[in-house]
Amino acid sequence: MKLLAIFAAASLTGVFPQIDHAPKFQFAGSDQLAFQITQGAHADVFAAASPKYPQQLYAQGLCSKPAAFATNTVVLIVPRANPARIDSVYDLQRDGIKLVIGAQGVPIGDYTRKLLANLGLSNVLKNVVSQEDDVKYVVAKVALGEADAGFVYRTDVKPVGNKVFRIAIPAAGQPTVQYQLCIPTTRQHPKLAAAFVREVLSKRGRAALRKAGFGLP
Amino acid sequence: MALTFLALPVLAIFLRVSPTTLVHELSDPVARDALVVSLRTSALAQVLVVALGTPTAYLLATRRFRGRNVLLTVVELPLVLPPAVAGIGLLAAFGRTGLLSTSIPFTQLAVVLAIAFVSAPFFVRTAVASFEALDPTLIAAARTLGAGPWRVFLRIALPLAASGLGAGLALSFARGLGEFGATIMFAGSLQRLTQTLSLAIYAEFARNFDVALAMGALLVAFSFILLLVVKWLSFGWTSPFRSVPSSSA
Repeated sequence: MKLLAIFAAASLTGVFPQIDHAPKFQFAGSDQLAFQITQGAHADVFAAASPKYPQQLYAQGLCSKPAAFATNTVVLIVPRANPARIDSVYDLQRDGIKLVIGAQGVPIGDYTRKLLANLGLSNVLKNVVSQEDDVKYVVAKVALGEADAGFVYRTDVKPVGNKVFRIAIPAAGQPTVQYQLCIPTTRQHPKLAAAFVREVLSKRGRAALRKAGFGLP
Repeated sequence: MALTFLALPVLAIFLRVSPTTLVHELSDPVARDALVVSLRTSALAQVLVVALGTPTAYLLATRRFRGRNVLLTVVELPLVLPPAVAGIGLLAAFGRTGLLSTSIPFTQLAVVLAIAFVSAPFFVRTAVASFEALDPTLIAAARTLGAGPWRVFLRIALPLAASGLGAGLALSFARGLGEFGATIMFAGSLQRLTQTLSLAIYAEFARNFDVALAMGALLVAFSFILLLVVKWLSFGWTSPFRSVPSSSA
């Protein structure tokens, strides 16, 4: 039985199985997936939430030339009860707010730091109470109500829409969030892998991505 | 065969890079901060474990009452619970939206509680066993001579069980240092606040494998020493201290 192994960014958890439900998926932080691939993990497709890791693997000769397939935006989420009464990203400067973000090196963590720097809000980092290994853990800690706020992708909000509120970020702060995918040299099913990549880039794949809230490059 | 299998991964940590690199990587700020967090939270957790665990173990060892076995099982349960279950349990109990709705999550206290929760059984079990191993005639003699229960506990039971308690503490300490799952779920992971050595290893392994290795080597060394302490204390406890009074009785 041939089963594709798809290594994909955690933020693709909802949408990839809709494009093709057959493969074995591993959803995690793109940095960790890239590390596993450098350690020889058999991945047929690597889909990351930033160009950084696919481009790194490509430069090392460990995957095919990466293709951009989606874009996203970063948003701020707060629990429905909004215990810290946060109405805008600027409220995060107040002392005592429990902010959860992605760790450095994890795409959402890097985007979050860039966004805060763009808005001149890097002092907000003093309120960070936890740095998570992928975006879904940020979502979980806010949705649970344990954290006051967290930076996640726009597409992460829908599945927890009844538990969190979304707060938009001023456009000037928004970093460019681009998803890229490639076929690692550790792939075991090159033909099926290429077919999966074509499927993601196809009209149907693009429609599924758009429906989930992604932008298209 | 089994020995090779068990020893190889541990050896590999030390053989992959040179010892000087290992020591050098420990000066990385992430490693240094994690070491401080680990030592502080582990020490506090073990104070908690000993302070609450010792009287609990003494009562469990010396009293016979209905439901004692159930209580013993409850105390031992964290021993076999997956750390992830401990994590959601702590959140469900102490989380902001939990039963007691506290603001403990994401603080160093959360790390301390997570460590205490998973490591306490190691101490309590050993403590119960060492209190049970005390010669009952000694306790009875002390009581006949007019010593109250508190005095018996402090002057007779505690000193006689001391090496057993020490062994339990060393085991508990070793388990606590390695705590991962409950901590990352309940306390989160933040450098200098809640990022312990185990959490830092996980955070660094995809970023800087050598630093992760160095912290791993440090934990191996700690654990090795703690287990040696256990052996040494247990040996002193089973042979001379116990056999002498019981044979004279």
